[in-house]
Amino acid sequence: MHGSISGWLTIILKRDLLIAFRKSSTYITPLVFFLIVVTFFPLALGPQESLLSSLAPGVIWIAALLASLLAVETIFSDDFRDGTLDEFFISLEPSFILVFAKVLIHWLITGLPILFASLIAAIVLYLPFESFIPMLLSLILGTSFMSLLGALGAALSLGRSAILSAIIVLPFSIPTLLMGTSVISSSLTNQDFSGFLMIMGAMLAIGIPLLCLLTVEALLLNYE
Amino acid sequence: MLPNLKVENLSCVRSNKVVFENINFEVFPGENLEIIGSNGSGKTTLLRTILGLIKPEKGIINWLDENDKFNDFRTFECFYQGHQLGIKNLLTVYENLKLTHGAKGMDENKIYECLERVGLMRINELASNLSVGQRKRISIARWLVKNFKIYFIDEPFSALDDEATSMIEHLIQELNSKGCSFVITGHRPSQVKANRISI
Amino acid sequence: MNKLWNKLKRWFIEMGSPPLFYNWSSKIIPWLGLLTLLVLLIGLYWGLFVAPMDYKQGDVYRIIYIHVPSAILGESIFIFMAICGFINVIWRAKISGMMLKAAAPIGMSFTLLVLVTGSVWGKPTWGTWWVWDARLTSTLILFFIYAALIGLHSTIEDKTKADRAVSILSIVGVAIIPVIKKSVDWWQTLHQPSTFTITSSPSMSPDMYIPLLVCLIGFYLFFAYMLTLNLRNVVIERESSKNWVKHVMDQESK
Repeated sequence: MHGSISGWLTIILKRDLLIAFRKSSTYITPLVFFLIVVTFFPLALGPQESLLSSLAPGVIWIAALLASLLAVETIFSDDFRDGTLDEFFISLEPSFILVFAKVLIHWLITGLPILFASLIAAIVLYLPFESFIPMLLSLILGTSFMSLLGALGAALSLGRSAILSAIIVLPFSIPTLLMGTSVISSSLTNQDFSGFLMIMGAMLAIGIPLLCLLTVEALLLNYE
Repeated sequence: MLPNLKVENLSCVRSNKVVFENINFEVFPGENLEIIGSNGSGKTTLLRTILGLIKPEKGIINWLDENDKFNDFRTFECFYQGHQLGIKNLLTVYENLKLTHGAKGMDENKIYECLERVGLMRINELASNLSVGQRKRISIARWLVKNFKIYFIDEPFSALDDEATSMIEHLIQELNSKGCSFVITGHRPSQVKANRISI
Repeated sequence: MNKLWNKLKRWFIEMGSPPLFYNWSSKIIPWLGLLTLLVLLIGLYWGLFVAPMDYKQGDVYRIIYIHVPSAILGESIFIFMAICGFINVIWRAKISGMMLKAAAPIGMSFTLLVLVTGSVWGKPTWGTWWVWDARLTSTLILFFIYAALIGLHSTIEDKTKADRAVSILSIVGVAIIPVIKKSVDWWQTLHQPSTFTITSSPSMSPDMYIPLLVCLIGFYLFFAYMLTLNLRNVVIERESSKNWVKHVMDQESK
């Protein structure tokens, strides 16, 4: 049985990624939603370059937060309905590693497309090229944390309205928003942004074990 | 010979209502247990409580480990099939088998064997295109992927025709001879050789 | 000493049992209420009328006697809820889950009071009804988190399950609150280098400080009183099918 943890992990990853790619809407939707939200800002506020480039960090981050929340509801709902989730808890594998696998998959389906879309957003919002790398770094750390939070929100609101998981997750994602935008803004004024990245990294490091464990508890609640 | 699973005085309460109480049984290797009850009598809850998904109100659940000692935790993998079958609609029949727990390192031929045994021919068909009976067969093929010590199957015979029913009965017999036990539930007693308890 | 400790432990464990708690709280409630009323009246009268006027802000600063204790209570109650939540998740003690449910609306109300009094303080002193200063902004976020907790609880029909769900969320909440405060502080200094906080109290003399303390104690007593009242209701509601509740209902209707 030893070494089968990685076996179980690979099976879940292969399975869920295969399913996600069979239904292209799974990974296209967050990307498109992100771009639509970004587009609303120049539409609503006017297309001046100076205005847009000063707003760019905030706009990109707000769009990223909302888009990653979109797919949150489906992290566990399919598995809950077809009985696969039962398998997770009945198997002797540590459940929180399986939850971690689901979080990873959610990020691959949501966070990763957002990363690519952010490059487009950065161009249309006139973000200077030097800020691209800081933007990508902040988005990698931030969207991963969003996937973690999203998993907990999904587990708590399983079978209920999707908006509920958004309401639960959004207030908790405010530090990520503030840190993420600070990374990009600091890079615009050539200030050191590594401190913010380190904090986001620390949040991720503490969040992974804490939130995965709590998500397991929240999922088990659905059986009571 | 010692039983692999021993349950004593198990009772479960949900939303202030007693679902079942005073459940006692033992499951020996190669022997089966059948739980009979009407709809809503708590059969699924009982299976889930034994497997640890739900906390019981009181009672003891003991599992045998490799050293012939009884513990209240499990040291061997069990197979569970609920009402929902655990089948992924967007995967083909073959993929559903290949990507199931316990199938790690299984080579193709073994998978084809399992599928043949349950009479499934359309291997590259998406599970969503199959009928309920055929999807049940996929689930049954998953039983054969590995020899689990105990199989927990919730209503194995529901929605099945006679041919499929007798295939399952033979399969259970075959697995019994290899030392596997089945804990199954149903509305009325089946033809399977088993100890019976009712809820 | 040992005997006292054992007595305390026994009392603690007994309080975990709903009928015993209900019994004990019936006796305590009138005294607690009286004490609360007394301390609150003293504190508020002292602060609102007797304490000296602030030379910079005039009489307006007196709102501090409500604003600051509310802020402290809003956060303390959240920490209290997180502790109850932790106990509920790890030890499944149902009463800690009920305490969480009983405390949440009180905490949310205090937080709302902070925002309202902050607003009222801001208008005459700075000319606006709202200022995005660090303290008020973090309090606003805390308010949203309270709302999320209460909202989550109301969506789940099985109330014991709901208690556990909110317990889980409150643990995350208490972990993220310090991060929120730090990041809001940062955010503020990043965007407003000349920081002035609406909620910073001027360096206070003991004449002002002591009534503030009295008000704070009064607010804590008020919380204890409301919590006990709420908890009694929650206990009755949750255990309504049990015999002891029917017995109590019979008694009280006489």
